[in-house]
Amino acid sequence: MRTSDLFALAFGNYTRSRLRSTLTTLGVAIGTALVVLLIALATGAEDNVKRSIFSIGDLRLVTVQPFQPGATGLSAVPRTIGDDFVAKFKAIPHAQSVYRQYDAPLGTLLEGGEDAAIRPQGIEAGAPVDRGDLLAGRHLEPNEHAVAVIPGNLARFVAATPDAVIGRKVTLRLGGAVKLGSTRISGSGTPRDYVVTVVGVFDEQASQTSVRIPLDDALLAGAENRGLTPDAVRQITGYSGVAIESEDSQYVADVVKAVQELGFSAFSLKQVIEQIDKGFGVFRGILAGIGGVALLVAAIGIANTMVMAVLERTREIGIMKAVGASPRDIRAIFLSEAALVGAFGGVIGLALGIIGGRGIELVIRSLNPQSNPAPIFVVDLPLALGALGLALLVSLVAGFLPSRRAMRMSALSALRYE
Amino acid sequence: MAATDGVIVRATDVARVYPTGATAVSALDGVTLEVRRGEFLAVMGPSGSGKSTLLNILAGLERPTRGAVVVDGADLSAMDEVTLATYRREKVGMIFQAFNLLPRYRVVENVALPLVFAGVPREQRLERARAVLDRLGMGPRADHRPSQLSGGEMQRTAIARALVTDPALLLADEPTGNLDSANGEALLGVITELHARGQTVVLVTHDAGIAWHAQRIVRMRDGRIVN
Repeated sequence: MRTSDLFALAFGNYTRSRLRSTLTTLGVAIGTALVVLLIALATGAEDNVKRSIFSIGDLRLVTVQPFQPGATGLSAVPRTIGDDFVAKFKAIPHAQSVYRQYDAPLGTLLEGGEDAAIRPQGIEAGAPVDRGDLLAGRHLEPNEHAVAVIPGNLARFVAATPDAVIGRKVTLRLGGAVKLGSTRISGSGTPRDYVVTVVGVFDEQASQTSVRIPLDDALLAGAENRGLTPDAVRQITGYSGVAIESEDSQYVADVVKAVQELGFSAFSLKQVIEQIDKGFGVFRGILAGIGGVALLVAAIGIANTMVMAVLERTREIGIMKAVGASPRDIRAIFLSEAALVGAFGGVIGLALGIIGGRGIELVIRSLNPQSNPAPIFVVDLPLALGALGLALLVSLVAGFLPSRRAMRMSALSALRYE
Repeated sequence: MAATDGVIVRATDVARVYPTGATAVSALDGVTLEVRRGEFLAVMGPSGSGKSTLLNILAGLERPTRGAVVVDGADLSAMDEVTLATYRREKVGMIFQAFNLLPRYRVVENVALPLVFAGVPREQRLERARAVLDRLGMGPRADHRPSQLSGGEMQRTAIARALVTDPALLLADEPTGNLDSANGEALLGVITELHARGQTVVLVTHDAGIAWHAQRIVRMRDGRIVN
């Protein structure tokens, strides 16, 4: 039997009992649409979360914290990151560059009053935190002093536009009591003023309180606050953290492991994303399972329709067998009918899923115009193809038993069937 | 199709037993029969004599419980379902009392049906079907549905379907059973003419008036040949 004849026959049978075929197809379409919608929702959510994580920083980055590995919350055991360890971090294979950071005492931007609380981050030029987010001016450069890169919100205390702030001198009052939000903390030491020149303004989305200053300036401020020398601070307190940039994100896990073996807690976005991937895999699986139940119900519908079709067409099967249809031909006829239901249902369901997703999104956006502009439902190519394949597979499985029944029917008793 | 000598059907000691619960019903009980190529044979007997069972076995629709059946060189007892289907498609054409046409398809499509399973392309098989219909005077009805035909026309359609594959053997099971006497006579005329052109025919009937048209008559009773 030719494939073209098989298809024509299946199509003819499909259109014969139009209402029944339509209803069965609708069942598959709804099941498929549900699977598509739910997985698209999971994919959209995951994309959204990942996008916001990517916006935080570089996947190649490993952050070393001054705690022992496995530190969580209050149980964290402090460890000092001295220059000896910084040298060891630099020696870790695939660690491309190492940036030290020292957080000077909390304080305020004098021009902004007590609401302008700041956290001065002493960083090295080129540090990952000081990259690509400028509204005006430039990033920190090597070997400079008494300069700062400040967030946009603080810049507004100084001048109307970010550009107008560049080159202006501002005063950082570090140490002493600070009001953070609505709480006032006593802070450390006595306040001391440092006049710095603003060389850059960064987008405050990254942070509204961070002020980026040269590492040595921060160490000096920390030392003066506690009556020590910067060298003593390095040795006793150690750095607040170290950012290790690996050559490629594939080495991040190795670098993290090396840092932990040196006795420090390490954090990487890459690992966070891997955790998220795992979490979303489960989430997606659950949603797909819910959609799958709808598809299973549709499959039962197909099986029921096919059983009815086989019964109704028993005589036809007998006649076809009598004139020489092989068992395989008979099975192929019924299987291709089931496949047709699956294919139509899959295509319609995919379309319904995509349109439905758009519709829901439109409604959500019109109800809440300020919602996150990222797409809520994401139908990618693997999902589209997977949904079509699944609909086809489900219908073939559902059609298998009825078509086998047709195949095994005795020609003679089928001919006698009334 | 010239009449040639030689045996086309050789059935040896064929039995068919239907297991029905505790007791088995024997429909055929050791039938031995030969049909020569080009012969028109009528198998006659009352209902329950086993004549239809014999015909179904020759048609490859049923398997003998015992015995050997060789048709046109093919040993039916050695065949599985797949090769039996091929046998039905290539060696035999069968017509039934109930016509057994597919109501949804046009006459020409009904006639072309065996060629669908033989893998003949659509245009070619419709052409062949029309040629056979023309031969049987059914040309003008080719594009009708079976429901638009008279009983005689339906049976002619069935004959056309049986002949479209050029079978070595034409089998007819009470072909006039659902026809009035005029249509029945006309149909027998068609079969007789086919035979005259060399077609081997085995016809099963309970009606002596019909069997009379055949070249040779074999009588059956209780699963055996009685003469």
